[in-house]
Amino acid sequence: MNVNDMLFAQLATLGSSLVLLFGIALLWRRSLSAYVRAFRWQSLALALTFALIGYFSHNHELYIVAIILVVLKVIIIPGYLTRLYERVGGRREAQPYVNIVTSLIVAGLLVSLSYAITRPLVMVSKLPTRNGIPLAVGLILIGIFVIISRRKALSQIIGFLVLENGIALLAALGTYGIPLIVELGVFLDVLMGFLVMQILVYQIKDTFESIDVEHLSQLKH
Amino acid sequence: MIHWELIERMKFLLLLLPSFVSALGAYLVRPYRAMVGWLNALLSLLSLGAALAFASHAAHGGEALVFGPGELLRADSLSALLMVCVAAASTLTLFLSPGVGTETNYMQAQLRRYQLLINLFIFSMLLAVSANSVAIMWVALEATTIFSALLITLTRSKTSVEASWKYILISSVGIALAFAGTVLGYFDFVALTGRAENALNWPVLLQNAPAMHPEVMKLAFVFLLVGYGTKAGIAPMHTWKPDAYGEAPPPLAALMSSSLFAVAIYAILRWKVVADAAIKDHYTDSLLLALGLASLAIAAFSVVLSRNYKRMLAYSSVEHTGLICFGLGLGAAGVFAALLHLVNHTTAKSLMFFLAGDIERKYGSSAIKQAPGLLKAAPWTGGLFAAGLLALAGLPPFGLFISEFALFRAGFAQHHPWLMGAALLLLLVVFVSLITHLNRMLYGDAPAEIAVGETVGWRVAPMLLGLLVLVALGLTLPAPLETLLNQIVRIVSR
Amino acid sequence: MVWLFRFAPYLIFATTVAVTMLTPLVAAPLPFDAVGDLLTVVYLMLLGTFFLALAGLDPGTAFGGMGASREMTVAAIAEPTIALAIFGLAVGAGSTNLGQIVAQTLSHPGAVINPGHLLGFAALFIVTLAETGRLPVDNPATHLELTMIHEAMALEYSGRYLALIEWAAGLKLLVFFSLLANLFLPWGVATTLTPGALAIAVIALIVKLAALGLAVALIETRIAKLRLFRVPELLGVSFVLALLSVTSSFLLR
Repeated sequence: MNVNDMLFAQLATLGSSLVLLFGIALLWRRSLSAYVRAFRWQSLALALTFALIGYFSHNHELYIVAIILVVLKVIIIPGYLTRLYERVGGRREAQPYVNIVTSLIVAGLLVSLSYAITRPLVMVSKLPTRNGIPLAVGLILIGIFVIISRRKALSQIIGFLVLENGIALLAALGTYGIPLIVELGVFLDVLMGFLVMQILVYQIKDTFESIDVEHLSQLKH
Repeated sequence: MIHWELIERMKFLLLLLPSFVSALGAYLVRPYRAMVGWLNALLSLLSLGAALAFASHAAHGGEALVFGPGELLRADSLSALLMVCVAAASTLTLFLSPGVGTETNYMQAQLRRYQLLINLFIFSMLLAVSANSVAIMWVALEATTIFSALLITLTRSKTSVEASWKYILISSVGIALAFAGTVLGYFDFVALTGRAENALNWPVLLQNAPAMHPEVMKLAFVFLLVGYGTKAGIAPMHTWKPDAYGEAPPPLAALMSSSLFAVAIYAILRWKVVADAAIKDHYTDSLLLALGLASLAIAAFSVVLSRNYKRMLAYSSVEHTGLICFGLGLGAAGVFAALLHLVNHTTAKSLMFFLAGDIERKYGSSAIKQAPGLLKAAPWTGGLFAAGLLALAGLPPFGLFISEFALFRAGFAQHHPWLMGAALLLLLVVFVSLITHLNRMLYGDAPAEIAVGETVGWRVAPMLLGLLVLVALGLTLPAPLETLLNQIVRIVSR
Repeated sequence: MVWLFRFAPYLIFATTVAVTMLTPLVAAPLPFDAVGDLLTVVYLMLLGTFFLALAGLDPGTAFGGMGASREMTVAAIAEPTIALAIFGLAVGAGSTNLGQIVAQTLSHPGAVINPGHLLGFAALFIVTLAETGRLPVDNPATHLELTMIHEAMALEYSGRYLALIEWAAGLKLLVFFSLLANLFLPWGVATTLTPGALAIAVIALIVKLAALGLAVALIETRIAKLRLFRVPELLGVSFVLALLSVTSSFLLR
């Protein structure tokens, strides 16, 4: 590997670590506005990583993807989320199902687990960015964990968005991004999915007077 | 010559456009008029015709058709079979929709939203089965999640909002994981041959599969099975099913339980073929068998414990999903049986949810205890419901018996006696519980406040037709269907 | 145990001086590196903390007991984190000898922006704030019941005992800062024991300590003290960062 490749590898790993760290910061914070802020910074870090990969791999499509990421996940979606939690109320996340210290330790374990399961991928890949792949899969697992362990519907949506970020990072590190058409389709789907979830949260608020998912337990076996 | 080719390719447009145009029409016509419902139902006949044309083309040995820039759409035998399933279920649904020839207590705004969303839902399902690229297939499946989630909350009741929230959260996570699996499949391709624009086209993936790394494909297939399995309702990712099917409007429940589940199985099958070519041992088969058995077990016990007939039907769906997964993991004969079972199940389930909806409207509740005396209160509905439930339980002369029999024969031929024995036992448990629940509903006296008499009217006819199809499939295997299934088996076992 | 109260300050001071001798302040590797490495350093520090806590309990006052229990809460998570954070570097150097680690980083300067390094630095920084009793974990300038940890344990001491304890606390701060400075940014550390190299090393150390001191001072003025039940959460974050640093160093060798 020449010097350029080594620099590329280091910077890419640095970018992915930053993305993962903001995901872990999500587990540490309590208030919904902090969640949205962590997600915003994470998406920004992700967009910068995309741009970085685009620069080093001479793949200019990734610049477009980075710009769309910034517009969609740093500006539009957090804007909607902020408006959502201001209208729906409840600035604090109630005590989550798994307390914060345990969540953090579980996150550490999940990242170690992802290192174990992605060994074949790292060994097979010849790209300089391959060292960041375990971090991306770790972020995916952390996203799922956030969905499972949080009580407010809004936090679950943010967990889902973090999951999507993890998958996008995986695509960037593993394959230098998927074809642009597909990427656009994915963005559209994510945006629409988010909008529908937002609609549903408003409906939950209207019918249940609260967005604590503890109330969503009428449908038992 | 060119003229004919063009018409051949126009079939794709004929398949996809009617539902899109129907949705557009429902959106543009304000306020909603009953004519829109009728028009949409008639347009869906065009889709059905196109699907049948594809099927006959494939059954007569024609090779796969492609259409569109970059070969966007492609139809081989597997796609054709699923197109027919989806289009037939959609036509039935649109004809039996609320507001089409019957009075309904939905408001006009709700009916308009219903027509818009259900046609978009049908459009995305048809796109998913006719897409060439696995990525487009993924996009279409995600779209189905979005449209169906919006439709479940048509009546904005507490339980429907709760069901829809659980559904969209679980399904979106599942679909996201399926996307991760897709990326991993593409990853291996890139690691081998570098990026390519058409790399995500299924034939290209299949072609390059033997050279791909087995460990990567194994990881990718696990993600894909979990992801698309969530959409199909394979245990343990099935928890959204009873809630969603129980709370959705009956036409949507019918469509979801018959077609959406079939499309998810289609996605799994497409990827299974690629994974098998790469992995070269029976890894995918073992995974499918394990999950199939788990689904059967969980479904069996849940059916025993059900107190709500709609949720009971949902668990029966999980059971049949388990059987189909089983079949897919049992080699060529198993795949044949599984796909035959898919066709039968599509027919039976779509009927059942309509009937369940009618019963609920009559009795005002979907609890089994509160719906006795069906035969006395509504003999036709009760009779059809009983017939359908017996079909789902796997009794002859209905088609499901034949496909289950074929499945077990394949299983024993593949030397899995213990597995098949366990499956038989679980099926027996389901059978007994379904009959018990049915008896509670059919016999006895209806509560005094329930009006005696049919409310379905002419709608009995299409449902009777569906039942006759089931009987026909149980007595004979029509030659075109057999040819189609054999071709699919050939594709899958390459 | 009458002897404990009088004996503890001497022990605390002694262990802290021993730790200072084992850390690479101005030169690495040192001749007495053979005596102890990373784990010895961690154990010695823990020994000092343990005895300070016992000394806080010994007089039987309420403040002492309270300080001791709070200190143990913090130490329980912070001490393993020190070990883990530096262990991440040790994996890369192939040895837990602190001098060796510094030498390794000096010879591979590109490794400084490794995620393992950066995560380890972040984890160790948070632990520094916790172990040396700085905001946001503990307020070194207060004697209010609500906010003190280290001060509570030393409340009953006066005269030369108090002087020893405060001196030990100051030394601990020096040790942690120089660990942060020299393990992660080792430029300037003398590799040979010549007067010239040592002089440069001393100046470099002063510069790095000043920078770190400035950073800590800024943090202390900007951040309010965390409520006590939030402190384990902060330390949990540092533990996870250290864990990630070890994992990434280990698996990306």
